[in-house]
Amino acid sequence: MAQIEIRDVSVDYKRPNSEETFTAVDGINLSIEKGSFVTIVGSSGCGKSTLLLALAGLIPYAKGAITVDGKTVTAPGPDRAMVFQDASLLPWRSVHGNVRFGLELRRWRRDDLDQRVTRFVHMVGLGSFADYHPHQLSGGMRQRVNIARALAVDPDVLLMDEPFGALDAQTREVMGDELLRIWERDKKTAIFVTHAIDEAIFLGDRVVVMGKNPGHIREIVEIDLPRPRTSAMLDSPAFIAYRQKLRDYIAADMASLQMVKDVA
Amino acid sequence: MALAARTAARSAWPSLAPFLERHYTTGVSILSVLVFLVLWETAADQRWMNPRLTGQPTLIWQAALEVFRNDRFFYHAWISFAEFGIGFVLALIVGVPLGLIMGTHKTTRLFLEPPLMALYTAPRLALLPILIVWLGIGIASKIAVVFLGAVFPILVNTLAGVRNADNRLVQAARAFGATQLDIFVKILVPGSLPAILMGVRLGIGRGVLSVIVGEMFVSQAGIGYQIMSYGQGMQINKMLVYALSISLFSYGLILSVQWLESRIRDWKPVS
Repeated sequence: MAQIEIRDVSVDYKRPNSEETFTAVDGINLSIEKGSFVTIVGSSGCGKSTLLLALAGLIPYAKGAITVDGKTVTAPGPDRAMVFQDASLLPWRSVHGNVRFGLELRRWRRDDLDQRVTRFVHMVGLGSFADYHPHQLSGGMRQRVNIARALAVDPDVLLMDEPFGALDAQTREVMGDELLRIWERDKKTAIFVTHAIDEAIFLGDRVVVMGKNPGHIREIVEIDLPRPRTSAMLDSPAFIAYRQKLRDYIAADMASLQMVKDVA
Repeated sequence: MALAARTAARSAWPSLAPFLERHYTTGVSILSVLVFLVLWETAADQRWMNPRLTGQPTLIWQAALEVFRNDRFFYHAWISFAEFGIGFVLALIVGVPLGLIMGTHKTTRLFLEPPLMALYTAPRLALLPILIVWLGIGIASKIAVVFLGAVFPILVNTLAGVRNADNRLVQAARAFGATQLDIFVKILVPGSLPAILMGVRLGIGRGVLSVIVGEMFVSQAGIGYQIMSYGQGMQINKMLVYALSISLFSYGLILSVQWLESRIRDWKPVS
């Protein structure tokens, strides 16, 4: 059995101000092997973030089962850590304090707490910014803090919800490189949600393409590019072929939506 | 504008320029007060207005010396300060925790909101006669009216601070396994600190107003009492000494809260 098993999972959301529910994702089946890097890509509204939040244990799922190392997911647990989009850092805490925050919540009572914080702050290259507050940092630096906060608690699985979504294209590429460099050290299982196709191919061992109405898995593409990945690969024929393939899947999803609109 | 003033100053008095540059804002404020005082003095001197009704800065200064020497000023100030201080501390002790609890616990909020809002919107100084019947004309009725004046801005702002807490931070904390207590202590309380301080600043204004009006209404001592008796005796200058001392006191308090707020603004995101 794979480390993460998602079996026939669907997630319902309650519509605001009514008893009605609507199904955000339905019939999701996915197995993720320990140490692999899986990216989930899809247009907005396909439920890719919803799936990740369910995996994190932050929202309940209506049907099916999610297990991590054989244990059923019902709530956030020490085996998983999450990297959020921008603006999830505490504005009143410094870089050091924000990385410490995750460890405090995990009741990390060892003497090496602050040493550990310092080590992870250095690992993401913010050693000389430890005393800065989030508003004094650039978007890319803030996301480094976010990554350090998640890695410091030593999770088995790293969940990332569009962590580079708010960054400009150049910073995004640099951060992708950095993320892989850090990930290659201990190869923790990583699940990375994005809407950028290139990012999904560049980072992932597998790319899960999701479609909408309701959110479902449309296709899973194995990415057979050697590691470590380099930015030179972005222009390789293999990469371009993957890009073309994924773009077609996503375009097909948009087109089917268009047809629904035309009929209505 | 600042730049123009700086360049002008630099060419005229080179040695003064750095001083003016550093104290530009304070300088303009002080200048404004000075101009006002000079105008007042001249207007009274030239009998453009009647100094018996408006007072006069130099006479106020003399009255101040007189008041500080022979008027038991510090006794009255102490009475007012004690009434304000006790009432205000009580307002903090009740307002902040109650606001935090109402902000986090929905049922408590729904239960307490109607009576509290009714009291909040009522003119609380109008309750003074009842408070005097209940608590007498001594210090207790003034403490109560200060408390009622200050507690609502503190409570309402604390409540708003908690309810406007950033949901993304709460979710991030949950993802790391935060308990309800963790979220309260590590997110909601520090996150609502700016709003709490704003409530404190508003509460100071209300509290000072309440203690003075309370003393003017009925009492045997205190700054408000002195203002009332000198006002009735047409001793405008002495009356103004007391009124100004009150202004200075609350201005000082508000400045110190603003200083605290600016310390906190260091981490506030620019939005």
